[in-house]
Amino acid sequence: MMMMISMESAVVKLPPSLRTIKLNPNRKNRILRTAPFASSASAPAPAPLSTDPQLGPGSLGHLTRPDFPILHQEVNGKRLVYLDNAATSQKPAAVVDALRNYYELYNSNVHRGIHYLSAKATDEYELARQKVSNFINASESREIVFTRNATEAINLVAYSWGLSNLKEGDEVILTIAEHHSAIVPWQFVAQKTGAVLKFVNLGEDEVPDVGKLREMISKRAKLVVVHHVSNVLASVLPIDQVVSWAHDVGAKVLVDACQSVPHMVVDVRSLDTDFLVASSHKMCGPTGIGFLYGKSELLSSMPPFLGGGEMIADVYLDHSTYAELPSKFEAGTPAIGEAIGLGTAIDYLSAIGMQKIHEYEVELANYLYDRLSSVPSVRVYGPKPSRSVTRAALCSFNVEDVHPTDIATFLDQQHGVAIRSGHHCAQPLHRYLGVNSSARASLHFYNTKEDVDDFIISLYDTINFFASFK
Amino acid sequence: MSIPIKIPISSLFHRSASPFFNLSKTPTPPYRFFFSNNITFQRISAKQPALRSPPSASSSVEELPPKLQEIVKLFQAVQEPKAKYEQLLFYGRILNPLNSNYKTSDNKVQGCVSQVWVRAYMDEDKNVIFEADSDSMLTKGLAALLVQGLSGRPVEEIVRVPPDFAMLLGLQQSLTPSRNNGFLNMLKLMQKKALHLYVEAERGASPSSDISGIGDSANAGSGDGGSDLNEDLKEELGRKSVLMGSRGRRIEGILQKELLPTALNVEDISYQHAGHSGVAGSDGETHFNVEVISEGFEGKSLVKRHRMIYSMLQDELQSGLHALSIVAKTPSEAESQAQ
Repeated sequence: MMMMISMESAVVKLPPSLRTIKLNPNRKNRILRTAPFASSASAPAPAPLSTDPQLGPGSLGHLTRPDFPILHQEVNGKRLVYLDNAATSQKPAAVVDALRNYYELYNSNVHRGIHYLSAKATDEYELARQKVSNFINASESREIVFTRNATEAINLVAYSWGLSNLKEGDEVILTIAEHHSAIVPWQFVAQKTGAVLKFVNLGEDEVPDVGKLREMISKRAKLVVVHHVSNVLASVLPIDQVVSWAHDVGAKVLVDACQSVPHMVVDVRSLDTDFLVASSHKMCGPTGIGFLYGKSELLSSMPPFLGGGEMIADVYLDHSTYAELPSKFEAGTPAIGEAIGLGTAIDYLSAIGMQKIHEYEVELANYLYDRLSSVPSVRVYGPKPSRSVTRAALCSFNVEDVHPTDIATFLDQQHGVAIRSGHHCAQPLHRYLGVNSSARASLHFYNTKEDVDDFIISLYDTINFFASFK
Repeated sequence: MSIPIKIPISSLFHRSASPFFNLSKTPTPPYRFFFSNNITFQRISAKQPALRSPPSASSSVEELPPKLQEIVKLFQAVQEPKAKYEQLLFYGRILNPLNSNYKTSDNKVQGCVSQVWVRAYMDEDKNVIFEADSDSMLTKGLAALLVQGLSGRPVEEIVRVPPDFAMLLGLQQSLTPSRNNGFLNMLKLMQKKALHLYVEAERGASPSSDISGIGDSANAGSGDGGSDLNEDLKEELGRKSVLMGSRGRRIEGILQKELLPTALNVEDISYQHAGHSGVAGSDGETHFNVEVISEGFEGKSLVKRHRMIYSMLQDELQSGLHALSIVAKTPSEAESQAQ
């Protein structure tokens, strides 16, 4: 259901399914603004009315916005336009309430006590675990290990599985687009074990070269570490294929799903991945909690990561025996309230439906990409969206002759638009692309078409401002 | 059951920890049966930590080097944030370009989201000349401010500029904290380079071997170390000999005599510890790094070696020397480590 909206000629092609839908004549068109534009960049043509009803009033973004208290404020005198969701997402009131309720009503340490509060806390905590398990379709909830975040989860696999399974000469396959958290722990492991890290470069369409990836998965490969969705390129990797190639040679796969779990259906059994990590704070849950999914036979064979209370069975002076999954990997008192908050976030997302969220975000992603790539002197990284190529709802970009930090600062100060500038924890990728840093606008299902329009208009203003000083 | 939560806008912009919850006056819904009934909830107002009090404006401005004063006054006269940006960019545009040879890691300012380089050299009158560049226009503007304001001035003036003068510009509200920190770090780097140039010049003037300068190898602390560094820099410059005070020379002398070392390095790092309670009231020479390579350590445990040195420096320790950081090796150990 893809439409290409051409701005110059304002020709709009309606796919057959939409022709019967009457366009809302009362739609408030907030696109036109009277901000003056310098002559150096032509003023944007008024954005064509999006004929995609998914983005118009009554869209998922409009419906869900009221649930997010933080979005309803002004920044520097302008309406806050929050476009930094790839860094962290906002939380619906339900999640905030869940945390408050936990602390006000039944806060108590889990797994240890017998009294009422403790039992209730434990129940809710384990219920949250079950919710995570269901959300990603794991076989059983003991395959979910709660960690502080995805980074800690990757470190868990590195120190626990990596150190005891990798030997000198073994290969770990990654892409250069991986997040630092997916790279650095494996550098530690490589230093300690003599294993070798190999990186797949980008192909022609600015996506990791899947063909080369397949070639690199040789008999020497023991682990493949890949992102599902790239936080810079917005590209999506065919994880199911990668997993089957890896399993053919007896290698394991660790999927960094931080940018995918919040935005689409992720089914670990259909992907057949061995490990998967995600962070709560990117999926409308609280910070301070994340999880590792691992196949139970795999996790059972791994030695503990952190030692302490909770993960033990019996403790003697000179040795201890360890607890069953998942407790074996959850030392110390966990972030109980936060886990419960994550469970509530999952409830919230599931009530909407991840499929619905994904469809909306694809439309929004295309709209963002179209509008952004039409701005003169803007270069967007990653693949062009098409019938066969879906992009995530984010765009990393650079403006010719203007530093991304200048862009981000001006957007924030003068327009209340929050984007990110920097290397987005992907320095190798930026080095490969030949830039020091980039700007990035990233959306979530509570963003609206108006958010994108405001961003683009503000971006024009920003570019003109700096252009006049060249 | 969504309880509308009002978040006061102001509390979001003080990077402080406002409490996550504002306990509301209304009692919470049903499940309170296990709470005693005489508990009521009171509104606890989020206590904002006191904003960094603006420096006593008028007196500080007058203390600044003249050109910097002009710049500050100019920015204070411009009210609108956007106009301030324009002013900043204007400065950036007229900044002399920096030769790429000077874009080295030594000249790079840490803590900047963009890349900033600062170069410093002295002219014949011992004034410090600065050059700078950045790949970000706003940062270049900030660098240009500092270059305009400080270049061509004597070292004492430069190191006396208080780090929080940035607030006088009124740019702080217009610039994100990370940018602001970059600005502070730029200033600190310029001050450090100015001092370094001064020390080099003095070293050229007074012939002395084996004297290690302050601040050369040690990293000036960032953040709140800044103002302390300033105080100590002022103190150091106030003295005749900037390089090594009398205590440092005494320590050297004693260790030289007692241990007959093959290598000896004594470094005054007191300025790093300025502000500790142990330092108050002393003449400033309180912390030293000591590296000694001597045959006299042969056969002695590490603890014993340290005890030896401490007993040699007993008098100093009782008269204000606060701490020693000691590296004590035998010549053979030093050699095998070098391999």
